[in-house]
Amino acid sequence: MSQTVSDAVAAAIRTVLHDTGREATRVEPAMLLSTDLGLDSLDLAQTIVLLERSLGVDPFRSASGARPAIRAVSDLIAIYSEALNQS
Amino acid sequence: MTAVDLSRVNAEPAPERLAFAIHEIARQAPDRIAVVAAAGSPQRQAIEYGALASAVAAVERALSAAPPQGVIVRARRVDALVAVAAACGRQGVPVALLADDARDLVGELRDWTVVDDTLQVPGSRGGRTRVADTDPPHVVVATSGTSGPPKLVQRTWDSVLAAARLAEQWQGLGWLMAYDATRWAGIQVWAQSVLTGGRLVVPASRDPDVVARALAEDQVAILPSTPTLLRRLIASADPTLLSQARPERITLGGEAADGPLLEQAKQVFPGAKITHVYATTELGEVFRVSDGRPGFPATWLGRQLPGGIRLSTRRDGELLVQLSRDTAEVATGDVVERRGDRCEFTGRRSDVIVVGGAKVFPKRVEEVLRGVAGVTEARAYGQPSAITGELVAAEIVLADPLPAGASPESVRAATLAACRESLEPHGVPRILDIVKRITTTSAGKTSRRPLVGTQ
Repeated sequence: MSQTVSDAVAAAIRTVLHDTGREATRVEPAMLLSTDLGLDSLDLAQTIVLLERSLGVDPFRSASGARPAIRAVSDLIAIYSEALNQS
Repeated sequence: MTAVDLSRVNAEPAPERLAFAIHEIARQAPDRIAVVAAAGSPQRQAIEYGALASAVAAVERALSAAPPQGVIVRARRVDALVAVAAACGRQGVPVALLADDARDLVGELRDWTVVDDTLQVPGSRGGRTRVADTDPPHVVVATSGTSGPPKLVQRTWDSVLAAARLAEQWQGLGWLMAYDATRWAGIQVWAQSVLTGGRLVVPASRDPDVVARALAEDQVAILPSTPTLLRRLIASADPTLLSQARPERITLGGEAADGPLLEQAKQVFPGAKITHVYATTELGEVFRVSDGRPGFPATWLGRQLPGGIRLSTRRDGELLVQLSRDTAEVATGDVVERRGDRCEFTGRRSDVIVVGGAKVFPKRVEEVLRGVAGVTEARAYGQPSAITGELVAAEIVLADPLPAGASPESVRAATLAACRESLEPHGVPRILDIVKRITTTSAGKTSRRPLVGTQ
């Protein structure tokens, strides 16, 4: 499961970078979204829509209360893995 | 074609005018074609004024035998709808013309009688005391729901028929019926055609080839359309069929017409006079522009125009209309911007996509998308986002065939690059899908709603 999720997260981020005229050679779980990959809030919003399409869930839409911090690629993987386990 | 004298039509009271015109044409030229149903397809069927008049008479007899509270027309066939509406008008029975998406609203009209394509009028319930009529017979239509949920509105026959032009030059022409016959724009087309002894050409579908064949085979002279439907016709219909169509007039309405579309239309239909009409549900027709350029002359702002209309804009560019000196200014919800000597429409206020607090007009995005080689149609809409509120999303339709050397991937990449070049960063579509056909509303306009569900 988590293999699929991490693949999907990496693919979504690569699409975002590609669509905005940037290229990522690799996307690793430990990478920081803004510092290492250069993602801004629009990029993150796009990543979430793409992940909703590929994984079928949007953990941010239903989230009530405080949103967990999303700093690293691994944070995204954890949030989506949990959302898929619950669905 | 036998000449028909229609000089007495306008003297009739508005509610009776349609039935009068149909009977008058049927009396003088019973073989003249009133409606071409399923035009452009093998199922094409012509209905003559003689047959239409008989249908009106039959409905009138049933209505006068047992007058119902009101009639809800649920006809799929335009000729049936016209017959019932005309009969109701002359018999003083209120009539509701409702599109499919307004069917939920019929609860408000629960004592009314439903009449469908069979033209049978079921026994009336409750009955209607004709003597106590305080309100004149009227027409009930639903608003299109582009801005908010559809609701029922009551119109007098006078207002329904007010815009019809009855002068000699408008008589006996072929009219394309690309609109839903129950919508305001559609009602205007069939009423205009019937009142002038015209031929109403109803294509079997909105498929571009079907519409093009209908235009050519049934010699359509007047082509009323939304910019979205005309763009699709020009981009996708078989060029041979298109070259056989000879419209004399193209009347665009319902959405703003952009410069490139006006240019293309001029090239494809060199003989046509192209007009775009600005109208709103609340105000009806406000003005029309025929100079082949988008928007309207900027000099119109702040001045009394012929007819007493005064246009102005709010600080944010929203167009305000004052129909006459003694009426209040109405905020139209349409935003205009000054480009050179013109005021051009940037879009509807309610269509604005808000991305992290920044506003994006989808129409502007669509103009950039359609400017890319290999893209024929486009729509932009707001995709809800928990992070930024909304994101700009878009759909494009690719040209068939694609330009030499292009692939779907290369066109998609070129589209995004063009957007990055011409739009603010938040205006660049973040979701860009290649589709076979863009989503349109039942009124034939480009939909601004997100897709339902994911793909």
